[in-house]
Amino acid sequence: MTAPLRAAAFAVAAVLVFLLPGWIGGVHGAFAVIAIMAVAAYGLDIVVSDLGEVSLAHTVFFAAGAYAAGLLSTRLGAGAWVTLGAALASGALIALLLGLVTLKLREFVFSLVTYAATVVAAAIAHNWSVLGGSDGVSGIPTLDLSVGPLHLAATNDVELWPVAFALLLVTLYAIRQFRRSRLGAMAMMVHLNPRLATMSGIEPRRVRLAVFVLSAPFSAAAGWLYAYQRAYVGPDLFETYFLVLMLTAVVLVGRRRLLAPLIGTALVVGQERFLSFGGDVNAIILGGALVIALAVLPGGIDATLRRLVEPRRATLMGAPNTKPVVQP
Amino acid sequence: MNLVQQLINGIVLGHAYALIAIGWTVLLGVARLVNFGHGQIYMLAAFVTWWSVAALGLPYPVAIGVAVAAGVVIGLIMQAAMLRLTFAQDLVSIMIVTLGFGHMMRGVAGLVFGGNPQVLETPLSWVEFEVAGSWVTAQDLAIVVVAILFFLLLYLVLERGSLGRTARMVAEDPKLAQLAGIDVRRVYFAVFAFEGAAVALAAALVAPRTPILTNIGFEEVIITFVVVVLGGIGSVAGSYLAGLGLGIFTALFGGFVSPAYATTAAFLVLIVVLVLRPSGLAMGRASR
Repeated sequence: MTAPLRAAAFAVAAVLVFLLPGWIGGVHGAFAVIAIMAVAAYGLDIVVSDLGEVSLAHTVFFAAGAYAAGLLSTRLGAGAWVTLGAALASGALIALLLGLVTLKLREFVFSLVTYAATVVAAAIAHNWSVLGGSDGVSGIPTLDLSVGPLHLAATNDVELWPVAFALLLVTLYAIRQFRRSRLGAMAMMVHLNPRLATMSGIEPRRVRLAVFVLSAPFSAAAGWLYAYQRAYVGPDLFETYFLVLMLTAVVLVGRRRLLAPLIGTALVVGQERFLSFGGDVNAIILGGALVIALAVLPGGIDATLRRLVEPRRATLMGAPNTKPVVQP
Repeated sequence: MNLVQQLINGIVLGHAYALIAIGWTVLLGVARLVNFGHGQIYMLAAFVTWWSVAALGLPYPVAIGVAVAAGVVIGLIMQAAMLRLTFAQDLVSIMIVTLGFGHMMRGVAGLVFGGNPQVLETPLSWVEFEVAGSWVTAQDLAIVVVAILFFLLLYLVLERGSLGRTARMVAEDPKLAQLAGIDVRRVYFAVFAFEGAAVALAAALVAPRTPILTNIGFEEVIITFVVVVLGGIGSVAGSYLAGLGLGIFTALFGGFVSPAYATTAAFLVLIVVLVLRPSGLAMGRASR
């Protein structure tokens, strides 16, 4: 497919997806949540797929965005654009602090410290009265992004869906541009061959920090919109559900494929919304999906389907390795 | 709050922490594996202990045995699912898979044991002693005694016996160990079964101190990590001392500063250690 054709196909698909909840009817809320959680997962995606580190702190960025929206809108009466700026800034700031602390750490030590950060953030959210304590912050006003004569208010899920969809499109574009950027290329190099990266004059620590800080605003923006969608923020945002959801979305379909986290989120949230078996069974399904995606289906659904669809090409490509080498 | 009471609390808490962490210490030290479902095994084992006592009417010591058996089964199931990843030494995937298992265990606990908080009452928690004007229960003493015996036994087996040498060889170089005739699969299964059993034992002993809920277990993972890092990754004796030190620190901090932020403070200790002594984390790189 040529580039213009591909862009046109993407545009048509985007329009169809945008109109889909209207045709089905009554599912704007589920679609908005899918878009929001997918955006949150994209933040984690560039850290897991491109940088090769497992951050367990993206729920903190997600919650930071949500709390920024909740606190500023209820306590100071701030508008949605102001809270969006605050959400992005607070996510990036927390990521910067955490990134500096974990600068020298890699692999499971990095993951454990980010996990510890999540647990500590949850403890603070539960206990600090400024953040609303265990009760959280309720009574968040509806989203109003009106600028001048342009009226952009979302009083219900039907009106919120275009905003969530727009946020998703912006995120998709940003992730695509990131993967084509110098930073994206450096991240892959640091991930796949740190020594070569260092020899090429790349500072791996600086790249890691940059990608980590860059990833946070995506999750924070998702949290920002989630706060308006739910009209409530509380310490439940730190529950492992969100963490496991984001991780499953990232690994379920395949790594470093632009639409994979979106499809993964749609599968998980879709199951919970339209085919729910109750919270406990849903948790078993979600955790099980994560286990199966990595332990049984290496490369995710995408790679497994490819292996099934193109077995001939796979055997042809594998043939030279399996053939015994004839010794003279 | 008097100092002696907090110190005694700290010593009990410290032995509890050391016992909770020991499975991870061995897992990481001898097999270079991690388990983020650690806290959820703790949670599930606590529920199994409670259920064995409250629903089946088993005596407490038998209930501990049931919980440990459950821990072994969970450990074996997890390792069976991750065997391919283990041989590939794909630590990143193993971490995520164990998180997935943790989430599943929460669902299972909610499904089987219900969402209500439970309190495990053991005959030992009714017996109290007075020590220097402070009160200790027999349950607390049992934690201390079992932890000390467990660590002594483990120290003798791992650091003095041939079993420990075998396990360390597998950790250093699984392929070489296989060439030397060691059944590496069996070692991995044994180590994960031990991880499950150890944390289940800790849960059966420590859980009576707090209400049992499906969402406990997170703090246990953090405590475990702090203990493992402070003690020097993989060191049995180090873990014991680190657990004890952290317990006393947490008790004093909780008693004199703020109980709500005790875990936060433990995390800050961890940060300080990481900044001051990153060499203690050399394993993080070597495990690749």
